[in-house]
Amino acid sequence: MRIIGPDELIFGVDDLDACRAFLVDYGLDEVDRTEGGASYHALDGTGITIRKRSDPSLPRPLPTASMLRKTIYGVEDQETLEEIAAELGKDRDIIREADGSLSCRDDLDFALGFRVTTRRKLDLPAEMINSPGAKPGRPANVLGANQDAEAKPRTLSHIVYFVPDMERLTKFYIERLKFVITDKFTNTGPFLRPQSNFDHHVLFMIQTPAYMQGLEHLAFHMQGPTELMLAGSRMVKKGYESFWGPGRHKFGSNWFWYFNSPLGTHVEYDADMDLHDGAWTERETPMSAEAAQLFLFENVEKWAPGGPPPGKQG
Amino acid sequence: MSVAQRHKAETREIAEPLCRLEDLVDGRSRGFDPLGEGRDTMFVVRRGAAVHAWRNHCPHYDRARMAWKKDEFLDPSGERIMCFAHGALFDIASGECVLGPCLGQSLTPVEIELRDGLVRVRGKYAPGFRR
Repeated sequence: MRIIGPDELIFGVDDLDACRAFLVDYGLDEVDRTEGGASYHALDGTGITIRKRSDPSLPRPLPTASMLRKTIYGVEDQETLEEIAAELGKDRDIIREADGSLSCRDDLDFALGFRVTTRRKLDLPAEMINSPGAKPGRPANVLGANQDAEAKPRTLSHIVYFVPDMERLTKFYIERLKFVITDKFTNTGPFLRPQSNFDHHVLFMIQTPAYMQGLEHLAFHMQGPTELMLAGSRMVKKGYESFWGPGRHKFGSNWFWYFNSPLGTHVEYDADMDLHDGAWTERETPMSAEAAQLFLFENVEKWAPGGPPPGKQG
Repeated sequence: MSVAQRHKAETREIAEPLCRLEDLVDGRSRGFDPLGEGRDTMFVVRRGAAVHAWRNHCPHYDRARMAWKKDEFLDPSGERIMCFAHGALFDIASGECVLGPCLGQSLTPVEIELRDGLVRVRGKYAPGFRR
């Protein structure tokens, strides 16, 4: 089933202004703004839509604190959409929306949508590095450090759900939508990728009590570790709350930096995630701090050497 | 704040007042870093003459930081404390979680004293930075 990954996440929020300020500072571009909300796009057109919590056009909320109202997956073509409609239509109502997309709920009641993807194909350079023994990534006189680099999120990368029954939901995504497990944290949850995406994961789950069900975090891919650090350090400087990072995960190998957000979920920058195909064999390990990251840092104020030696100030 | 200074933070009494009562906006929250750790490790919410003080730790993750931006610890209505990690809501006066990932758990109180128009931490205060 040729599903690519999340195209759009829709939230119902109380404070549109706070969400707007956060998402624009995070680096997304505001589009289609009205009194009732707006959308915020990464460079390829994937992104986040916010509406007032009471907006009657939104799917009903979960009975928890989660503000996520719908996850819309992009698929390759109309044929895939029809394939999904036929499969999921066997045991649930499928709504065909005016824009041609499909709507339903998954086996744990998360609202789902599917549409022929609206993402644009990106043609952008990777982060270029110079490494002894390797051909230079940047030719002579091309600089690596640019304080003013835009550092914009390129594409919606992945989402992580808190779920009351990970076995059941994993089964749904694997058997009905043909997702594949790449790796798994025992008793926590699996990393999943759909058929038309080689990214290590577009969906991860964390087993929790039912009252926690919702969105643990969402993430966008950045150009590379340098732009991730630059974008994150700008967020800290603006007063946003760094929650975890910067660091680098083990499963997926992606660099990460998570922030709290007025959308009531963590919003992550990620970069340089592993790609996998059908030749990969899944790994499994218990969740632990050691397993969750290769290393972890914390942002501090900028500093420079120089000036009088310690104890001689003034 | 250098890294070396931050790592010296240890449990002690806080001699300096946090602020004056009149510095606190009624109905709003504000974060404080009493040990100079480089991050706000507690916050207060003023409601009229009352000031409620809590550690900046959401109970559902170890030392989870709660605000979404400097000093922003309340939900948009101003009626609840909110953890912007995952949206948990807490009663401002009792610290009890009323909705969200830490249902049945409570925030950790900070004992404070209002005297001569000043807000002070009472007793010993432990570092809050994850190390």
